[in-house]
Amino acid sequence: MVITICIGSSCHLKGSREVVKKLEELVAEYGLEGQVELNGSFCMEHCVEGVCVRADDRFFSLKPETTEEFFCKEILRRDV
Amino acid sequence: MIENDADIGSIKAEVLYEVAKLAFEDKLKEMEEEIPFSIIPGPKANFRCCVYREREIIRERVRLAQGKTPCGNEDDKNIVQVIRSACEGCPITRFVVTNNCQKCMSRKCQAACSFGAITIDGDKARIDPDKCRECGKCAQACPYNAIADIMRPCKRSCPVDAITMDDNSIVKINKEKCISCGACISDCPFGAISDRSFLTDVINLLKAGVPVYAMTAPAVEGQFGPDVTISDLSEMICEMGFAGNFEVALGGDLVAASEAEEWSEAYREGKKMTTSCCPAFVNMVKKHFPSVMDSISTTVSPMAATSRLIKAMNPDAVTVFIGPCIAKKSEVIETVADNTADYALTFEELHAMFRAKQISIAPRGTDMQQGSIFGKRFAASGGVTGAVVEALKEAGENAEINVKQCNGALECKKALTLLKAGRLPEDFIEGMACEGGCVSGPGNIRGAVKAKKDREALLSKADGRGIRENMQEYEKYRFSMHRKK
Repeated sequence: MVITICIGSSCHLKGSREVVKKLEELVAEYGLEGQVELNGSFCMEHCVEGVCVRADDRFFSLKPETTEEFFCKEILRRDV
Repeated sequence: MIENDADIGSIKAEVLYEVAKLAFEDKLKEMEEEIPFSIIPGPKANFRCCVYREREIIRERVRLAQGKTPCGNEDDKNIVQVIRSACEGCPITRFVVTNNCQKCMSRKCQAACSFGAITIDGDKARIDPDKCRECGKCAQACPYNAIADIMRPCKRSCPVDAITMDDNSIVKINKEKCISCGACISDCPFGAISDRSFLTDVINLLKAGVPVYAMTAPAVEGQFGPDVTISDLSEMICEMGFAGNFEVALGGDLVAASEAEEWSEAYREGKKMTTSCCPAFVNMVKKHFPSVMDSISTTVSPMAATSRLIKAMNPDAVTVFIGPCIAKKSEVIETVADNTADYALTFEELHAMFRAKQISIAPRGTDMQQGSIFGKRFAASGGVTGAVVEALKEAGENAEINVKQCNGALECKKALTLLKAGRLPEDFIEGMACEGGCVSGPGNIRGAVKAKKDREALLSKADGRGIRENMQEYEKYRFSMHRKK
């Protein structure tokens, strides 16, 4: 599956780079390389409080500190 | 306001300028909808049927300048986008009998057609579009050259057959096939295809006071005339609020040294290899020749190398590649988790920023060189090979390498087809999707021919430093020169 992280300026200032880094570490930690692909994106026009992240067809609003919770709840629990 | 004789390039430039200006002034959100009216004041239409259509085209371009899709399709991540309102739906019946037809007795066209599509009636031969398979045999057979091949310019330009038409003959881009080379953007005579931009993102970060570093591609020399050196450009870029500017030619030097090691190793192991600098070439391998993906050098691109160097110096740095390339934008997006540039802009977009900030494009009397002449020559076809050969010589390795230099996407495709079939005679492929190299890229302000003289004048001033010598200064910074596998 593909996780798309917005790299627009607004999300950048909210920490998109940290979110990418966290996700990268988590993907490595759970040995999901080759199954989970991280991808960037222009502004997805879903600007909310956090960094805009898309997994399959759903949008999420993440902060660097909520990234692990998102990963465990939304990524690990599904058949990737 | 756009003048009557404006070309597509100047319309695009005008939109980028207006968007950049409002973004710098913090007025983009409130004034965005005014842009179509200020550029097309009316009441008379200049290029299209009416001002309403002209304004709609500008509105869609304003969205592209902010990185959005023209019509708000959030599923579409492609860099290259169709401006539907600008597409004229050119005729798709590819072969047409012209008035040159003599209605001759031999009827070679009819005999050449395997599909029975040609009839001779009235004053000339006719092609039944329902039967025609566009093989072109009739056009070859006609002794009067009376059959014209009028393939749509967008479709003709695409090296990977990613362009089709919808039911209304409006162009459609197959994003599974598109390699973001930007050939269709340059070739559509109506300017109906364009690219999304990180322009406002970069401006917002500059305004936010983040340390933003520019990285200008080696193709830049000659884009701003014979007198503006790359060091003058750095000054101009810093006047806009950037924390600094690095020559990507320096990254080119790093890449040449790393490739030289990789190539020597591959050669010893009897493995064939391709370059990895051109993102449209890399996209072509990934999307159209996936079985030879392992042959792509694992050395990162000069853009990524330069970005890694800057981030090794300043971990908080935000890096922005500025070049002639549209595919670089896709490289940025796809390698988001592989420590590369944060954003990519084109020279057109840089020019719009200069205008918006009223930065005068003139020499600043500075003269600093970061890249060697070998790194600088990465921008033209054959340049990568030249630099790798130099690096091999400097390392005392065998520099007699056998490289297929692919100048343009079609040559890349041919070489990759041979590589895939195991029949490539050469050991290495230098892949450049633009004919002539980056100097002919779609994001340039001046084309390769116009810029050539000025470019050569500027390059002739570069000192003769070697690649290794040039890298010594940066040896204390530690970073990997390879991508993740």
